[in-house]
Amino acid sequence: MFTERFLRNRRGVRLTSEERAALEAAIVEIRTVGPRTTVIRQGDELTISTLLVEGIMCRYIDDRRGLRQLVAVHVPGDFVDLHAFPLKVLDHDVATLTSATVAIVPHISIEAMIEQRPQIARKLWFSTLLDAAIHRVWLFRLGRLDAVGKVSHFLCETNARLSAIGLSDERRFALGLTQHDLGEICGLTSIHVNRVLRQLREQELCVFRSSMVEILDLPGLQRRAQFDPHYLYLEQEPGGGTP
Amino acid sequence: MNEAFNEEPLTEPGTASAEQGVVILDGPDGVAITLTPDAAAATGHSLIKAAEIARRQISQPG
Repeated sequence: MFTERFLRNRRGVRLTSEERAALEAAIVEIRTVGPRTTVIRQGDELTISTLLVEGIMCRYIDDRRGLRQLVAVHVPGDFVDLHAFPLKVLDHDVATLTSATVAIVPHISIEAMIEQRPQIARKLWFSTLLDAAIHRVWLFRLGRLDAVGKVSHFLCETNARLSAIGLSDERRFALGLTQHDLGEICGLTSIHVNRVLRQLREQELCVFRSSMVEILDLPGLQRRAQFDPHYLYLEQEPGGGTP
Repeated sequence: MNEAFNEEPLTEPGTASAEQGVVILDGPDGVAITLTPDAAAATGHSLIKAAEIARRQISQPG
């Protein structure tokens, strides 16, 4: 089932088996996309939405010099462009970071699904509100935290999101991102990220090596990151968080 | 929003360090930048000059 991770383990929202079957039936195509591939360009007129089934994707905006800021990272179970259902165009680009499998859902099918099952509209809306909540915390992270805090916060957030969908055991998870990617997420140079990762390793908080993240001290990393997972609306919050 | 938490000038200095041929400036308050040695030196001179002017502004207000 391609939709099994959509809204999995989120507080206050649960797809019924009938709704999940309807969403599954709305998928018209499964695509495999290579890593580092832009799949949606800013301003493209869209008639479909894309559910990420496997892999990691991102939303990004390039500055005039072509330097990139990642403005969101998506994990399996996320719609990467549900905003385009009402908006019809996106104000940013969407790309894969790793190789990815995506499910294509035409907007016309979403429209029909909402007409037949009005409750599903609220759940799709929840999904975009979750994106908005994550964006707010990304603003906090970029504006308020130091370099170690920024990277630590992203790793705590990713750990929590992957735990919710069964892709982290809350201590260890695969993360096919480069230090350059982490830099584009946190607004740091690769050299800076490299040093931060060394500091996290030396402080025995976390090790990121060969596309694997191993969290050695989850409460310590959460404290360093000022990470509180409440904004992820998880059924169970990994490690409890640190307000 | 609590008035007491409005943005104030920072009193803690940032920490600069050299790493792989560049200068990394960490903090305070979320500052995290990487500069070439020339850019770092020029920024340092500019900061010292601005600090001298700011001190004069405090001692001779208006």
